[in-house]
Amino acid sequence: MSELILKASALTVRTADRVLLYDASFRAESGRVFGIIGPSGGGKSTLLRCINRLNDLVPGLRVSGDIRLRGECIRTNDVNALRARIGMLFQQPVIFPTSIGENVLFGAKRLRSLTRSEASAVTESALREAALWDEIKDRLRQPATVLSVGQQQRLCLARALAVQPEVLLMDEPTSALDPRSTAAIEELILRLKTSHTILIVTHNIAQARRITDTLACVSIRDGVGQIVEQGEREQLLTSPQTPELCEYLHASDIHTGFTDE
Amino acid sequence: MRKARDLIFGTIAAVCAMAALAVLCGLVFVIARRGWPAMNVSFFTEQIRLVGASGGILWNLVGTVILLATAFLACTPFAIALALLERVWLRSHPARRWLRIALYTANGLPSIVFGIFGFIVFVQWCGWGKSWLAGGLVLAMSMLPTVTIVLIERIAAVPARYVEAAAGLGLRESQIVWAVLMRQSWGGLITGSLLGLARAAGETAPIMFTATIFAGATFPRAIAESPVLTLPYHIFILAQDSFDPAVGSKLWGTALVLLGLVFSLSLAALPSRLRIHEESNV
Ligand SMILES: Nc1ncnc2c1ncn2[C@@H]1O[C@H](COP(=O)(O)OP(=O)(O)OP(=O)(O)O)[C@@H](O)[C@H]1O
Ligand SMILES: [Mg+2]
Repeated sequence: MSELILKASALTVRTADRVLLYDASFRAESGRVFGIIGPSGGGKSTLLRCINRLNDLVPGLRVSGDIRLRGECIRTNDVNALRARIGMLFQQPVIFPTSIGENVLFGAKRLRSLTRSEASAVTESALREAALWDEIKDRLRQPATVLSVGQQQRLCLARALAVQPEVLLMDEPTSALDPRSTAAIEELILRLKTSHTILIVTHNIAQARRITDTLACVSIRDGVGQIVEQGEREQLLTSPQTPELCEYLHASDIHTGFTDE
Repeated sequence: MRKARDLIFGTIAAVCAMAALAVLCGLVFVIARRGWPAMNVSFFTEQIRLVGASGGILWNLVGTVILLATAFLACTPFAIALALLERVWLRSHPARRWLRIALYTANGLPSIVFGIFGFIVFVQWCGWGKSWLAGGLVLAMSMLPTVTIVLIERIAAVPARYVEAAAGLGLRESQIVWAVLMRQSWGGLITGSLLGLARAAGETAPIMFTATIFAGATFPRAIAESPVLTLPYHIFILAQDSFDPAVGSKLWGTALVLLGLVFSLSLAALPSRLRIHEESNV
C-alpha cells in the first residue's frame, strides 16, 4: 500500500548562462526508497536540493517546474515549514561545533518549545532511531567532534529525525564512511523506509541494489542534466534502455571489479 | 642571476624587518627604563598632585578604563547590526556595496574627525559639555568600522554547509543568524573589539575637547559636565613642560602604564587571531 508523497514535474534549474537540470519529472511513494544514480556532475545533488528548496539559498540559481508534497505545491507554502517536513543528510556529516546533545536538538528545540523532560525524551528517541543511543548515551555533553565520521553521520540522521520529518533526502550519505558505518546506515534506511519517504543519491550500484526500490538515472544529455531513465530498480539495473545508463553501469562494473569484493 | 636577486631581496627584507623590530624594542626599552623608577603602589592608588610632579595616576587609569568600557559597550550592538546587515539582510541589495564602501572609508578616517563630530553633537548640541559619555561614544564611533569589518570577515568565514544544514532543519533566518552565524563569530567580535580598544586607549585628539581634562576630576557621577582624567591626555600635558625632572619620571611612568594596557589588549586578542589563521589553513 504505497501512497504518492512527492511528485515533481518539469523541474528545471538554470544559472544565468547554463541549464543544470532540465525537465525532470518523478514520483516518490511512501514506504519505498527512491534512488538517484548517475555520473558525477550530472545534477543529482541539484535535483535533490530542489525538493527542500535549498537551491533557493544559492544566489543565481533559478528553479522552475512544480513539486508537490502530498498534493500541496511546495512553492506556495512557508519554506521553513516545508524544510522541517523534509530532513536532509549530506555527503560529509555537518556537525555543529557544540555538544552531542545540543546537536541532536539543534533543530527540534528551535522549532517547538520543549520542556526539559520532553527534550531528553526527544533526544533519546531520535538517537535510538538512528541506532546511536547505546554508543553515546553517557557522552551527550561531550563535543560532537570526538565522534567518528560514521557516528557523526548517524548523529546528523538523529538530528533530522528529532524534527519528525516525513521525507528524508540523502546526498551520498555513505560515500565518506567505512564499510561498517555504511552497513549501519543502510540498515537504518531499510528500517526507516516504512515510516518515511526516502530519496537517496548514491554512486554505489551495489548499494542501490541493496536499499532502493525505484531508481532514476540523472545524466548529461545534449549538454544538460536530465533524468534519462527511471523505473523499478531491478529493471533498470538488469536491462538498461538508454546508452547513458548502460555506460554508467558498465563503468561502475569495471570500477567495482577492481576495488570491491 | 635569479639566485643573486633572491638573495638581495631576501637580505633587504630581513634588514627592514630587523630595523622595525629594533625600533619597537628600543622604544619599549626606553619607556620601560625611564618609566620604571615611577612604578610603585602609590603611583596607582594616589591622585595627581602638584600639576603632575607628584602623586599618582589613579583617576587617569580609571578614566581611561571608563572610556574604553563605554566605547566597547556602545560599539558592540552597532557592530553586530552592521555586520549582519552586510552579511545577511542586504545580501542581494545594492545598498550592500555602499555599506562596504562606507565602512572601509570610515576605517581610514582620522580619529579627530570623530572627535569634531562628537564635539558638535554631544558637547554642544546635547549640551553635555565635556563628558565621559561623549568621549566613550566618540571612541566607539572611531573603532566601529574596525570591529564591524573583523566581524564581517569572521561571519563570512563560517562555512556554507552549516547554514545549509540549519536551513535544511527548517530554522528561520533569524534563528540561523543567532544559532549558526553569530554563535561561531563571537571570537571575531572580541578580537575586533580588543584591537579597536587597543588603538582607542591611546587616542588623545578626539577626547581632548569632548571628554578629558588634566586635573580635578574623579569618578563621574552624571552625564553632563562630567569629564574624566585619562592616560594619553596626561602624557600630552606633561610632555609639554617636562623640564622638571620630577614631572619627567611621572611622564615616562604614565607612558609605561599606557603601553602595558595597549599591549595586554593586543595580546588578549592574539589567541583568537591565530586560531583564524589555523582554521583558514585547514
Ligand atoms: N551554484 C551553482 N552554480 C553554477 N553551477 C553549479 C552550481 N551548483 C552546481 N553546479 C553545476 O551543476 C552541475 C551538477 O552538479 P551536481 O552537484 O548536482 O552534480 P552531482 O550529480 O551531484 O555530482 P556528484 O556526483 O559529483 O556529486 C555541475 O556541473 C556543477 O558544476
Ligand atoms: Mg552531488
